[in-house]
Amino acid sequence: MAFYEVYSHPASIRYKTSVCTKATLFLGIVLCLTYIPPLLVAYRSQGFWVKRSTYEEQPVVRFQYQVLIIAATSTSGDYVAWSTFPNFNNMQGTNLRIPSISVREEDQNQDGKLDRLKFRLDLPLRSDEQVYSIQLLLTFSYQLFRMSTVVMQTLAFVQHSSSVPGSQLFISGDLRLQQRTPLPHRGLLTVYNVSVIDGTSPFASAYDLANIIGSYQDRNLTTFLSCPSPVWTVGRAAGTPFQINAEVRYPVEVVSYRPGFWEMIKFAWIQYVSVLLIFLWVFNRIQTFVFQNQVLPTVPIPLLKQHHF
Amino acid sequence: MDVFVWVLITLYTWPFFEFSVAQKTDDFNSTFARANESVIDLLGKQNFTDYENSNALDVEIVSTASNVVSTRDGTGFSTPSTTESTPPSMSPQVPLPLSGSLPPPVTDVSRICPCDQLKDQCDPNCCCDPDCRQELALFTGCTVKTVRGEPKLCGQDVVTYTISETIDGYAQVQKSVQQEVNLDVFCIQSTNYEAGLSLATPEVPSAGNFDGLYKHFVQFLFGSANNGATTSTVEPLTSPGYLYGDVIETEEESGGREFFRLPAPSVTAHCSDLNPAAFLREQSNRCMRSLVLERDCTTLQALNMHSYTDPRILSKKSEDARFVAVEVTSIVLQSLEGTQTQLNITGDLSLDPLLLVSVAPDSVVCFNVVLQVGYTVTYSEAGDIVNVTASLVLGEIDRNMVPMEQEFQIEFVQQNVDQVALPSSGNPGYVVGLPLLAGSKTADGIVHSADSRGAFTLLHGSKLSDCLRGPHHRSPVLFGVDMVSGCTLRLDETANCSVVSEVVLGVLRGQSFPRYVASFGNSPPQHPMDWVPIRNQTKPTEAQSCSIPLSLHLEVQWTQYGSLVNPQAQIVSVIEVIHTNTSNLALLSGGSRVMSVTSSVTFVPVSAAARPGFKASPTIDAKLPYDFFFPFV
Repeated sequence: MAFYEVYSHPASIRYKTSVCTKATLFLGIVLCLTYIPPLLVAYRSQGFWVKRSTYEEQPVVRFQYQVLIIAATSTSGDYVAWSTFPNFNNMQGTNLRIPSISVREEDQNQDGKLDRLKFRLDLPLRSDEQVYSIQLLLTFSYQLFRMSTVVMQTLAFVQHSSSVPGSQLFISGDLRLQQRTPLPHRGLLTVYNVSVIDGTSPFASAYDLANIIGSYQDRNLTTFLSCPSPVWTVGRAAGTPFQINAEVRYPVEVVSYRPGFWEMIKFAWIQYVSVLLIFLWVFNRIQTFVFQNQVLPTVPIPLLKQHHF
Repeated sequence: MDVFVWVLITLYTWPFFEFSVAQKTDDFNSTFARANESVIDLLGKQNFTDYENSNALDVEIVSTASNVVSTRDGTGFSTPSTTESTPPSMSPQVPLPLSGSLPPPVTDVSRICPCDQLKDQCDPNCCCDPDCRQELALFTGCTVKTVRGEPKLCGQDVVTYTISETIDGYAQVQKSVQQEVNLDVFCIQSTNYEAGLSLATPEVPSAGNFDGLYKHFVQFLFGSANNGATTSTVEPLTSPGYLYGDVIETEEESGGREFFRLPAPSVTAHCSDLNPAAFLREQSNRCMRSLVLERDCTTLQALNMHSYTDPRILSKKSEDARFVAVEVTSIVLQSLEGTQTQLNITGDLSLDPLLLVSVAPDSVVCFNVVLQVGYTVTYSEAGDIVNVTASLVLGEIDRNMVPMEQEFQIEFVQQNVDQVALPSSGNPGYVVGLPLLAGSKTADGIVHSADSRGAFTLLHGSKLSDCLRGPHHRSPVLFGVDMVSGCTLRLDETANCSVVSEVVLGVLRGQSFPRYVASFGNSPPQHPMDWVPIRNQTKPTEAQSCSIPLSLHLEVQWTQYGSLVNPQAQIVSVIEVIHTNTSNLALLSGGSRVMSVTSSVTFVPVSAAARPGFKASPTIDAKLPYDFFFPFV
């Protein structure tokens, strides 16, 4: 009749010593060597404290229905301009040309966040006018909610010029977020929730594109229209308007942020403990060897005597 | 509203395991909100032309949302004719009368047809169109191939339209309704709350709730009054006088109030005449005007000095303001070549633009055209405008000078305030971008010109770019801004070496080259010790018989002085390095017979690195990196 192992359990042997002995000193050294070096290893191998992290979010974007357009209508510098700001339009005098604009914002996947702006602008032209360059400025309301709540007003600026007059400019691009420094992990950020263009100002300098873009690019958070291939259609029949067709998508953005205290601790803890486990195992074997073979004199308590305690 | 929707969900992989999930109606409310939003969008864009309506408003068909997209049938909410007939005495809670009632939601997939766009007519290639009978034979494909039902159900109905060819070559449409098995782990096996799968009935706008709905759903739109306006929370001060930034008002001959205009470039370089001048906001604008001389010389108001000197400015904002006329203090006439002569203002002088067409073609000259206008506004402490003076530059322009440039300036001077104070370029240290103060030494101290931008200058490239021929433009040396420019020298003209050498050096240095530079931005001229001499260094030192300077380089060494919090820039030394030619010029030019002569300025920071001082240096040398305990300390 064959025997088999029906059950097993480890039995612990206790080794005793007094305070001022070599064994106590050894124990202290081993404890220090077990717990401190993993910290140094985890730190020196970089990335111990996670200072910058990223998350994905589709922003809540709304077109603000603010438009500013300037079109050069001759090679000698004549232009027509229009905006949704009455003060700007008053200033243009005879160069004012009222376009007709149609706008639609779509939520394609029915998730409650708009995904795309369809913008079409028809700029009527006189018979002696041709369009050589277009500057178009659109403003958006841009909101992020996942980590810190960001509410801001941003713009998309399109500038295209051609030496050949055209009849249509087609733009299809993404409204991308540009970030200089990471966002905080929580809180409300409304510093940039101010109008990009001060529409109430009667001064010409308020509508100077260099001023507008200059102060806008100073911000930490900006958006830009990433449109690698605008299409300029050459040739225009007399009497037909110049057309701008734009599709602006609001894609999912990767936003970088500064992690909070507990997130930082969590990742540091994971790194520390994973290194610590190796050290614990190694020093456990060393201690077992030292005490089992009585390298340092201690008093082992035999197993048989256990029930006397 | 504590209505719970009970949906039985079966885990597909274990059909025997059933459990129920309670879902709050809040989730559905959010979808209702979206439905309403699109309705309001339709309302807000009523101004579109029909053409745009059909193009841009291609509403997506959602099978369960037919009550929203059915505007085509006239049962939507954008029927203004019915809303107009609403009696105003109607109770606010009664919805506006619509044409009958809302159509029931269509859930039967075989009846949904997104491509059916013509009423009672067959849409080509629309296989699900019930109006198509005979035309089906002409179809070549199906624009809509499958129509699916609710995707969350475990068994979803799918209608498939396929086209096949008959023996005689015509097309034949087959329609098949199948139950497709949802492969999702979580799906709805059976639903006992049908309304949970469709959008809610939107709140119908009525006379009572319209404003609330409008405010809730409409965020941005064209033509709103405060489009782009930042509402300032600061209450406007009701002071009778002008405040900083207030637009200066004028009175028209008709009696109405207008703004005092100061032309400025707006989005382009063209002059915009409607830019207002603001109180205490100094402006200096250059802008261009494109004009046709023959047509515009006498008719264009912007060229006439009277349009700049005639406005009657109101001394304050309040009603009891008096008029302040613009007083012309100086008129400078500029000729075609650019020479300027001061005109004596004697009584009534006709200086309207005058067109002179001479016999020779292309020689049209327009006289007395306004080139520059400078206003000086004197104001009192109470914000009243006391006096406005204008100095004008009128000039002759011909075709070569069109489009012409005009310059407009306005500056403000307080009444009864001593104006002899010289502008300083810092307090005390230099501020980056402000001109260096320079002068020459006399027995009483340093003498420097009142115009600090003209004291220490560097050659500025001009269109002729010839060292020996003027006019040479000069630009001020600004603190902290490194610059380089130059001119060219033709070797054919260097025969008389000593004269050329003298002229070139004069061009590089300018008319009044200073000998001293202020070490601080506000160094007083009475203290010559605060001024740094400009040391000269000519290379090579042992001059040959005659050598022509090829470059003038100014090296300004500056240091930061004072506390770490607020360091002040101080100039410690200025060296003028002049390189002259050591060998034959023809060799240096490499055969091109043209030499370039450069002048440049460099600012060299020589400050010692800032170091926090300790009385006794700390002895503990911490080994841990600075961010070892980063989140804790």
